[in-house]
Amino acid sequence: MRLIEDPELDRFRAECRDWLEDHVPKGPRPPEGLALREYDLAWQRTQYEGGWAGVSWPEEYGGRGLSVLEQLIWHEEYARAGAPPSASMFVALSHAGPTIIVQGSDEQKTKYLPAILKGDENWCQGFSEPGAGSDLASLKTRGVVDGDCLVVTGTKIWTSYAEGANRQELLVRTNPEEPRHRGLTWIVCDMDLPGIDIRPITAMSGVTHFAQVFYDEVRIPLTNVVGEINKGWAIAMTTLGFERGTGTIAHQIELANGVERLIEAARETTDPATNRTLIADDAVAAKLAGLRAEVMALRSLTIASVSRGMREEVPGAEGNIPALYFGELTRRVNGAALEIFGCSALVRDGEHNWPLHYLESFKWAIGGGTSEIRRNVIGERVLDLPRGPRAI
Amino acid sequence: MSRDMIIDLHPTDEQQMIADSIGGMLADLLPVDRLREESGHGGARERAMWSDIAELGIFGMGVPEADGGAGYGLPEEVIAARELGRVLASPSLLAQIAAVHLAEGEDRTALIAGETRAAFAAPGLGGDLFLYDGEGAGWIVLLDSGASLHRTDAFEWADAHAMDETLGISRTSPSPAPVTRHAIADQISLLISAALSGLAQSATDLAVDYAKQREQFGQPIGSFQAIKHSLADMRVRADAADSQARVAAVSFGLGGNDTSEVAAARWLAGNAAIKNAKASIQVHGGMGFTAECDAHLFLKRAHLLAGLGSSRRAEERRLIA
Ligand SMILES: Cc1cc2nc3c(=O)[nH]c(=O)nc-3n(C[C@H](O)[C@H](O)[C@H](O)COP(=O)(O)OP(=O)(O)OC[C@H]3O[C@@H](n4cnc5c(N)ncnc54)[C@H](O)[C@@H]3O)c2cc1C
Repeated sequence: MRLIEDPELDRFRAECRDWLEDHVPKGPRPPEGLALREYDLAWQRTQYEGGWAGVSWPEEYGGRGLSVLEQLIWHEEYARAGAPPSASMFVALSHAGPTIIVQGSDEQKTKYLPAILKGDENWCQGFSEPGAGSDLASLKTRGVVDGDCLVVTGTKIWTSYAEGANRQELLVRTNPEEPRHRGLTWIVCDMDLPGIDIRPITAMSGVTHFAQVFYDEVRIPLTNVVGEINKGWAIAMTTLGFERGTGTIAHQIELANGVERLIEAARETTDPATNRTLIADDAVAAKLAGLRAEVMALRSLTIASVSRGMREEVPGAEGNIPALYFGELTRRVNGAALEIFGCSALVRDGEHNWPLHYLESFKWAIGGGTSEIRRNVIGERVLDLPRGPRAI
Repeated sequence: MSRDMIIDLHPTDEQQMIADSIGGMLADLLPVDRLREESGHGGARERAMWSDIAELGIFGMGVPEADGGAGYGLPEEVIAARELGRVLASPSLLAQIAAVHLAEGEDRTALIAGETRAAFAAPGLGGDLFLYDGEGAGWIVLLDSGASLHRTDAFEWADAHAMDETLGISRTSPSPAPVTRHAIADQISLLISAALSGLAQSATDLAVDYAKQREQFGQPIGSFQAIKHSLADMRVRADAADSQARVAAVSFGLGGNDTSEVAAARWLAGNAAIKNAKASIQVHGGMGFTAECDAHLFLKRAHLLAGLGSSRRAEERRLIA
């Protein structure tokens, strides 16, 4: 528990700030589709040219190789500069790329990693299926070895940014005799192969950023398998120790900014019933005060998590604590706008577009592991409670 | 904390040593089950141990060595307060730490050494002033909007009966006019927050232990998700309160908005302590409803500490000011 004072870090912060100030794209970001992908890739290219691609990746793989504290600073400055979320680059930069760094062959590293950093290619993740979400190990999409190919048939769903993605980290069942997580294979699937059909799914917010993907005897070269055939579960579950708690900083700061926007709006809006500002209403003030306390708690939990990350090579199950807090708090913060501003918050063309943020906020307690699954993990791996019927 | 501050929340080796030694000693000196037998006399064990506790160096923790203290700062006091909260130590031990910061000269020296004692007093509604575990205390640390030090005998006290019957409580009226808030009041509120976060953590531990051992339907109740998820939420609330108290302690006085950081810490810690104490009673089932089970001790103390010179409303006003 101490303040870290280091002029080197101050200098580094100034460097981040200056570069971001000059380079963060100014124009509006397209909300979805191929235009969004182009925008994200262009921003990735800019970061690459500036030497800021893959901040957490080791230098030998072309990354910036930042220390945990430098990453913390980078993400803080990134959020403050209003830089775009990683969105359609997220899987490539934070999951598939790092997995290949840890588990891929030299050939695979050379083939895939530079193209990610340069912003030439983006990736999507084909794990979830209609019948296999939280229970990922029950997935059924089949992969059959035929000559030098794996022939894939089945379907994946909720695949974010599938449309326009160049590649996919795909998890398929190659040995149906083996139960559950045994008999799975992790393979790189090029999204332009014949037999792939991508059908976009529109979210309740009206935004379309995920899809169902169908595979009809798609022939993927066996050289694309990462690790070994039937050993894919271990690859998918590879613990990725690059970010160590820093990956959520930008989200946390953005949520804190969201609470400040609510407070500002409540200060500026008059309640016609009382002729006073909304913030003068005790119930409104109390609600906003509580949210302010909670976003401060989220920041402090994130700092605690980064402090652990400075010491552990591999993130532990405690990482679910800030993640659960974030998912639940995000829904409350975005829901508060509707409670406070009533019917005025139900129109989409206002200054803030509260409905969009409200409807989108539900995803943080579902995607990437639901709140319930996170509570299971905290209960069983952090508190060491006896396991439930879940078989993983 | 202010904008560009970088904080390491992990205890330094020395801080870990302080936590371990104080935690270990308190577990021996003041096990929570002491409050079972001594209903109505809680605080008695603390009073009997006052000089042993003074020897732990807790009271002068944040006072410079030249002035007879241990020469540490607010982070170390917060560590000590957290350990005190874990064992439901009398709030008078926190009041003693607070009094040391408000007193001067010989008075202060005597307080650091534990030769004189302090207790908290705080106003209620309608002009009432309550004194908590004040038996034998020469000083009161009065927590209203600010914090001030008074002689206990400057008031006429009458016994009252507290919900937390493990502590003696007395009452007087009228309460003096509130003093203006300054940094010391925030620091004291932060220590109370740390004690509440320690309480939230030990309420979690109690419930987790029970859930591992109590069996129904042929399995430990901790394997049922309704229980497991409640325990996971307890842990999250305790961690949130603890992390916020640590951040507020490290960043205090360094240019951020201390009042707001401390108000957040107090709001979160009061919330965590009360909610976790309630959840722990539920996890204990019928046993949790009895006087014999420790779960209620956490609930009563959580309410008492949360309301000590503060309220959820007061903290909310500070947060939104
Ligand atoms: C915006 C968004 C983006 C996504 N992007 C991707 C992506 O790019 N690639 C990808 O592969 N997947 C993606 N997903 C899928 C995501 O990982 C799954 O939605 C998630 O794992 C939950 O699975 P499910 O939807 O099948 O729900 P289910 O698993 O069917 O869950 C339904 C409900 O049951 C509860 N439940 C299930 N099991 C348990 C249990 N053991 N204990 C207690 N409660 C339980 C859940 O918490 C939930 O409330 C995305 C999802 C969203 C919302």
